[in-house]
Amino acid sequence: MAPLLEIKSLSTHFFTDDGLVKAVDRISYDIHEGETVGLVGESGCGKSVSALSLLRLIPNPPGKIVGGKIFFEGRDLLKLTEDEMCEVRGNKMAMIFQEPMNSLNPVRTIGWQISEPLEIHLGMSREEGLKKCVQLLTDVKIPEPATRVNAYPHLFSGGMRQRTMIAMGLGCNPRLIIADEPTTALDVTTQAQLLELMKNLTRDYQTALLIITHNLGIVARYADRINVMYAGRIIEKGTAVDIFKNPRHPYTEGLMASVPRLDYDIKKKLVPIEGQPPDFLNMPKGCSFHPRCVYVFDRCRVETPELIPIFENHEAACWRNVK
Amino acid sequence: MSEPISERTDGAIEPRRISRIGTKAIIRGVFKYKLSRAGIAIIFLLFFMAVFAPLLAPYDPNAQDLYKVLTGPSADHWLGTDNVGRDLLSRVIYGSRVSLTVGFFSVFISVCIGVVLGLLAGYNGGVADMIIMRIVDTFMCIPFLPFVLVLAAALGPGLKNIILALAVLGWTGFCRIMRGQVLMVRELPYVEAARAAGASGFRIMFKHLFPNCLAPIIVAVTISLGGFIMLESTMSFFGLGVQPPTPSWGKELRTGYSYLETVPLFSIAPGILITLAVLAFNFLGDGLRDALDPRLRGEGKKIK
Amino acid sequence: MRKYIIERLIYTVILLFLVSILIFALVRLLPGDPIAAAAMANTDLADKRIMADLRAHFGLDRPVHIQYVIWLKDFIRGEWGKSIGSGEPVMTMFLDRLPVTIELFLGATFWAFLIGFPVGIIGALRRNSKLDAFLTTGSIIGVSIPAFWEGIVFIYVFAVIFSLFPPSGYVRFFESSWENILSVMMPTFIMGTGSAGLLARYVRSSFLEVFSQDFIRTARAKGAKESRVIRKHAFKPAMLPVATVIGLSWGYLVSGAFIVEFMFAIPGLGRMGVDAVFARDFPVLQVILVIVALNVILMNLLVDLVYGFLDPRVRVHK
Repeated sequence: MAPLLEIKSLSTHFFTDDGLVKAVDRISYDIHEGETVGLVGESGCGKSVSALSLLRLIPNPPGKIVGGKIFFEGRDLLKLTEDEMCEVRGNKMAMIFQEPMNSLNPVRTIGWQISEPLEIHLGMSREEGLKKCVQLLTDVKIPEPATRVNAYPHLFSGGMRQRTMIAMGLGCNPRLIIADEPTTALDVTTQAQLLELMKNLTRDYQTALLIITHNLGIVARYADRINVMYAGRIIEKGTAVDIFKNPRHPYTEGLMASVPRLDYDIKKKLVPIEGQPPDFLNMPKGCSFHPRCVYVFDRCRVETPELIPIFENHEAACWRNVK
Repeated sequence: MSEPISERTDGAIEPRRISRIGTKAIIRGVFKYKLSRAGIAIIFLLFFMAVFAPLLAPYDPNAQDLYKVLTGPSADHWLGTDNVGRDLLSRVIYGSRVSLTVGFFSVFISVCIGVVLGLLAGYNGGVADMIIMRIVDTFMCIPFLPFVLVLAAALGPGLKNIILALAVLGWTGFCRIMRGQVLMVRELPYVEAARAAGASGFRIMFKHLFPNCLAPIIVAVTISLGGFIMLESTMSFFGLGVQPPTPSWGKELRTGYSYLETVPLFSIAPGILITLAVLAFNFLGDGLRDALDPRLRGEGKKIK
Repeated sequence: MRKYIIERLIYTVILLFLVSILIFALVRLLPGDPIAAAAMANTDLADKRIMADLRAHFGLDRPVHIQYVIWLKDFIRGEWGKSIGSGEPVMTMFLDRLPVTIELFLGATFWAFLIGFPVGIIGALRRNSKLDAFLTTGSIIGVSIPAFWEGIVFIYVFAVIFSLFPPSGYVRFFESSWENILSVMMPTFIMGTGSAGLLARYVRSSFLEVFSQDFIRTARAKGAKESRVIRKHAFKPAMLPVATVIGLSWGYLVSGAFIVEFMFAIPGLGRMGVDAVFARDFPVLQVILVIVALNVILMNLLVDLVYGFLDPRVRVHK
């Protein structure tokens, strides 16, 4: 069965006054119907940019998708016209943003904003839309949905706003929801609630979910497969179980080691990854991670590794895996 | 934005560290945009004109030749002569001296007053803030032109009085901008950190706050230079400001108005210069604003 | 919301009071004895006794602060006294000239909106294109041209060369509506272009600011086409700062009125003010300045209240 989403060698570059930034450099991965995929990496590694590229929401200037293909439901999104793309957005593929306060229109009611995609794509009238809206708000567990529909975003708490965004995303029953750092702006308890909610909803609606985050804990629990991103490239891919049990890239290893875990000995020290994330304007030669790598050897400094299959469904871009 | 207009922090710009980024941005602002390049070029020319007026002007601007009254442009007199036979070109060239002098001095004094008061009001808050801002609000209720008109008439003619009149009224704008900027900057974490480290109020004000409040002030200064030059010429037009025989663009324009049908160039020419001067400063200010305010920055045209 | 309105109103009253003091002091700064100035113009008054009588009549022989209190009381009651130069009641002069200036204001606002809004919006939509650069340059030129010079050029081109519009003078609307329109065409346009440039710049930057906000990205992510994004998402929030600039540019309109009425010999309040400055006509000048300041203050109050209506966040927090 063909994957719902197939990204092939996608590249998005930013042409700034200070130089060329290859925010996304030839990444490839798939997402299948109904599955949850995690895209993990630290801040600034390009994961959000890659997500925006899927919906072709990259601001131009200064950014531009310069290469690759994005096959969604069999069509290459990069070849669609803008109008055709508008039909996909919010309808077949929806995105949930972080910072829900800024991502919601302050002068429009919640009801208006949630029912908007319903009106645009499903042709509903305002009344029909608002009715569906109440149902959606109930799904995302917002209390008193019938009154909330007429409220303005600034009256909501952070968690409620994020739930609103989820409701907005679910409205047209999309095949894929992209959640960009959905819980970063929230406290831990709310985070857990929201993630459970999203997991249940995607299961109930049969929606595929792409979770973009820097938080390993989230992907460990909720994702089926994981892609690890570093400096604009995917450097490891595999099932969640594989990646956690047996990370094959030093960066992924480093990420695991720097996360505190309840099942570790309390005296065991947290090991941070040495060094700084690379400057996109001044990338290291060879493997982009090599300046920070504890296993570095000569080949790493010279040749940039591509993703190398190690086990079935587990690849890593590291010369250590090549004997 | 829920404060009343009087409190509104118009034009406040989010600060960036004025280290290399700031100066680089300023230089970029001046030279990147075509418009501000044009502006700087014109300002340079006007300066040149003012400083080297004696060398550039073909005649003594006050030399009257009653046999050659109100001639149109000719080989001898490129812009013609005025109603008592003085060469118009020379008068226009010398007029730049008045405009630039008034502009720079009045803006300079206004900025000094306004920035200091704005800093005090914004940083100290409390009573000082209240008193200063009430004064600012009261002054700003009366539109600039009528206000300057009455004040200039009250002070009497002369270069110094015009500068004084403009300065006495012009500081309010800078004060408000400065205060708005200070209010925004003083909440920033690194100011808190400086305070926690024991820095005195004075030191904080000058070393930490001040540099980061400069951006909108710089823009405002540039644009005010244009505005004050315009006001000076308006006052001259009304007969206030510098007195005969000193040439001033506004005054020439006024005299020329009476002879509009016969010698249109008499009033058109000085006006072109006033417009150019104001335009140049506005172009420059616009470029600076685009460079210093990150929200307005455009990185260029669409990339194909 | 009600608290907000009341707070603003109280502040306005205080401000008015302070401004009245300022105006009174300002006018008194004018050198020269107005009675003497009037006497020079009108030799009937030159007799010393008449002058002394006039002085007493106008209260000019009392201490300054007493004069202020008297003036304030009279002003509020609508007793605005008589012009020192012409002897006409100031109230009559005011009422006579008010509609003229109002007409100019309306015309100028019309031009300002007509030119300013489209220029600003197009500039924002086509940001950094050649068109944007052209429009930006035009806007800056619009605010840079001195009104009196623009007037001269217009008069020369349209009155002297082409004889389309009268070079000066004003015809009342009910006397002849066509001639009225002709006579205000140039003055209102000149007044309007000054504000149009400012408005265009503000509209443009306001739209750009709104476009850079995250919620616009969300709207696009929902599949809204660009025209919908502009109309239904960007427009209302972008209008908020524009309300501010309308308040700001009101002051410019007033200044413009002074110049334009003077140049085109239009018998409005601006002309009245200019004449009063030169004739040291205190009663008239005081009234004009207060009216002008009142105009600006009320405009700002109005804008603040409109802000309260437009921005739901203000309603709740204040």
